[in-house]
Amino acid sequence: MPDTELMFVSGKGGTGKSAVTAAFAIAAARQGRTVLAVDMGTSLGLGAHLRHADLPYAPTETRPGLWAMSMDRATALDEYIKLQLHLPLGAPTKQFAGALTVLADTAPGVREIISIGKPLYEVWKGVWDLVVVDGQSLGQFQSYLRAPATIAELVPTGNVRRQAERLASTLEDPAITTITLVTNPAELPVRETIETMEILRSEGLCPPPNVIMNRFLEPSGMSLVDVDRLPAGSAREAAQMQLAMEAGQERWATEIDAPVSLPYLRGVLTPGEVAVQLADALGGRP
Amino acid sequence: MTETIIITGAGGVGKTTLAAAIGVAIAATGARTLVLTIDPAMRLADALGIEDLGDEPRPVAGVANLSAAMLDVSASWEAIIHRYAAPDVGDRLLVNPYFRAIADRFPAAQSYAAGERMAEFIETKLYDVIVVDTPPSGGGIDFFRAPARTGDLVSGKLLKWLTGSRLPGRGVIYQLAARPMLRLADSVLGGAMLSDVAAFLVDLRTMYDGLAARSRTIERYLRSAHIVIATTADPTPLHETHRFFRELGEFAITPDSIVFNRTLPSEWIDDADRPLRGIDDPDLRALAKGNLRTWASEARRQADAIDELSARYTIDVHTIRWRTPPPETLADLRSLIDASSLFGSLPGPTS
Repeated sequence: MPDTELMFVSGKGGTGKSAVTAAFAIAAARQGRTVLAVDMGTSLGLGAHLRHADLPYAPTETRPGLWAMSMDRATALDEYIKLQLHLPLGAPTKQFAGALTVLADTAPGVREIISIGKPLYEVWKGVWDLVVVDGQSLGQFQSYLRAPATIAELVPTGNVRRQAERLASTLEDPAITTITLVTNPAELPVRETIETMEILRSEGLCPPPNVIMNRFLEPSGMSLVDVDRLPAGSAREAAQMQLAMEAGQERWATEIDAPVSLPYLRGVLTPGEVAVQLADALGGRP
Repeated sequence: MTETIIITGAGGVGKTTLAAAIGVAIAATGARTLVLTIDPAMRLADALGIEDLGDEPRPVAGVANLSAAMLDVSASWEAIIHRYAAPDVGDRLLVNPYFRAIADRFPAAQSYAAGERMAEFIETKLYDVIVVDTPPSGGGIDFFRAPARTGDLVSGKLLKWLTGSRLPGRGVIYQLAARPMLRLADSVLGGAMLSDVAAFLVDLRTMYDGLAARSRTIERYLRSAHIVIATTADPTPLHETHRFFRELGEFAITPDSIVFNRTLPSEWIDDADRPLRGIDDPDLRALAKGNLRTWASEARRQADAIDELSARYTIDVHTIRWRTPPPETLADLRSLIDASSLFGSLPGPTS
C-alpha cells in the first residue's frame, strides 16, 4: 500500500486557493493517483472548481481517480464519537452529539480539532495516494494548525489529548505533510504570505511552507516607449494598465521565493474551466 | 446622531481600502469621521500612511476631521469583563485558560468585540460618521451574527446540559462528576476538560444580564447602520454576495448598496472590435490590439456580473474603477470615491 501524501493549501482571501487546490487534485488524478480533495469550508470554493456544486460529506468521485468531500462538523463529530466509543456507525448518538456541538462551539480548539481530524483520519486509513485540503484563509488555517497545541494546554489527559498528539505529529512530519501557500504578485498578498511563513516557521507546527504565485500576468511584449506611440483611446489605456500591472507584479514577485507560477486567466471562464486550465499549467508537477 | 457605515464582503475585494477611502471623502465634507478597522494586518494603517494605528482613535495626519482606530480583541474583551463581571469573578475569568483562548482565537469573539467597540464609539457622540471595516471570519457575516452567538454562549446552554440545572452556582461543579452523561463525555474528551469548561461558564453566566442587554443594543445599531457589500466579478466574492443577502435577511437586515470594486472601462468591450487607427507599426498594432481584446473579455465578464446582480436585487449597484498601481496616497483614496456614484448614496452627517 502506498504512503499517503497530505497537502494543505491556504492563502490570503481572493488569491485563488480553492482553484489551485482543485488544480493540484486534477493534475494528480491525471497522473493516475487516487486523490481525495477536502473542502474545509462552506463557501463556493472547491466544489464549484470540481464542477460539483454541493459536495457531500461522504467522498464522491468527481472524475476518474478524483474524489471530493466537504467538511461537515456535526457529521464529523458524530463519526469521531462513534470511533472513540467503539459504537457501530449506525448507532444513534443524536442527543449526545447535540450537546457536544455546543461544546465544540464553546471550548476553543475542539471545533478545529474535529475539522482537521477528518482529513488526517483519511490519511491514516491509507487508501489514498494524496489527500489535498482546501485549508481556507491564512488565519483560519493557523487556528487549525494550533488546535492540537491549544487542546494540549487545556486538556491534561484522555482521548482528546491523545488524538491531539497524534494529529500534531502527523502535521509536523515532512515525509507526509506539505503546506502550500497561494499568493498573487501584489503587495498585500505577498506581505501577508511572508508574515504567515514567519509565524509558521517560528511555531514549528508544520514543515516550512511552499509558495505558489497565482495570477502571474503573461508579459505583453510592449514597452513604455510603445505605449507612448499609441493613439489616445481604449488600446492605449489598456496598454498602460497592462504595463503598470507588469511593473507591479515584477516588484512584488521578487519579494518572495515562489518556485511555481500559475497564469492570470482572463475572460468568461467558469470555476471548473479555471481549475482545468491551472491543472494544465501545473503539468507534470506533484 | 452618529451615522454608521459598515463595509462587508468576501476577503480580497478591497474592503479595508474602501473603508479608508470613504472615511477620507466624508471627512472632507466637514463631518467628524472615524474609520474603525478590524483586520490585524495593519492594512488601513498602510493605506492612511500612519505607522502605529492603535486601539484608541488617532487623528490622521493631512486629513482634517478624520480619525482611525484598529480593534484590539484582547483589550476589548478585558474592558467587557471589567464592565459586566463582579470584581472577583472578573479577576478569575481573566486568568482562566478558556477565556484567554476564546478572547484570542474564537472568531465570534473577535466579531463581538468589534461590535462592542463600534457601539462604544457611537455612544461617545464624538463622531458624526463611523465607517466600520468588518472582520474577515465567516466571510464577514459573523460580525452580524456575533451578538446572538455570544448570547448563546453566555446564556449557558451547555451549562444547563452539563449540570441539568438552570442557574447553578460554583458548588455545582463538584457534582458534575456524578452525572452519567458527563462520564460518557469524559471518556470521549478525557480529563477534567468539561469540569474546567463548566467552571468557566459558571463565571461567564454571571455576566449574562449585562451582556444580553448589550447584545440587543449592538443588534439595534447594526440594524440602523448603512450596509455596503463590496465585491468583485470573481466567482467567490459573487457567491458570497448572494450569501450575504440570504443570511442578513435572517437578522432582518437589508444591505443598502453593492460596490463593484476594480472594474474596467465598459467601452473597452466595443472598442476591442474596432480597427485600431493612427499607428503604422504593424507589430505594435497587433500587440496593442491583442492586449485590448484580452482585457475587454475581462470587462465583459464584469459587465455581465454587474447586470446580473442589478437585476436580482433592487438596491443600488456602484462601481469603482480598477487602479494600477493600487491606491497608496490619500489623494489616490479620494479619487477612487470621487469617480464613483457611491459617495452620493452614503448617509451624511445629520447632527
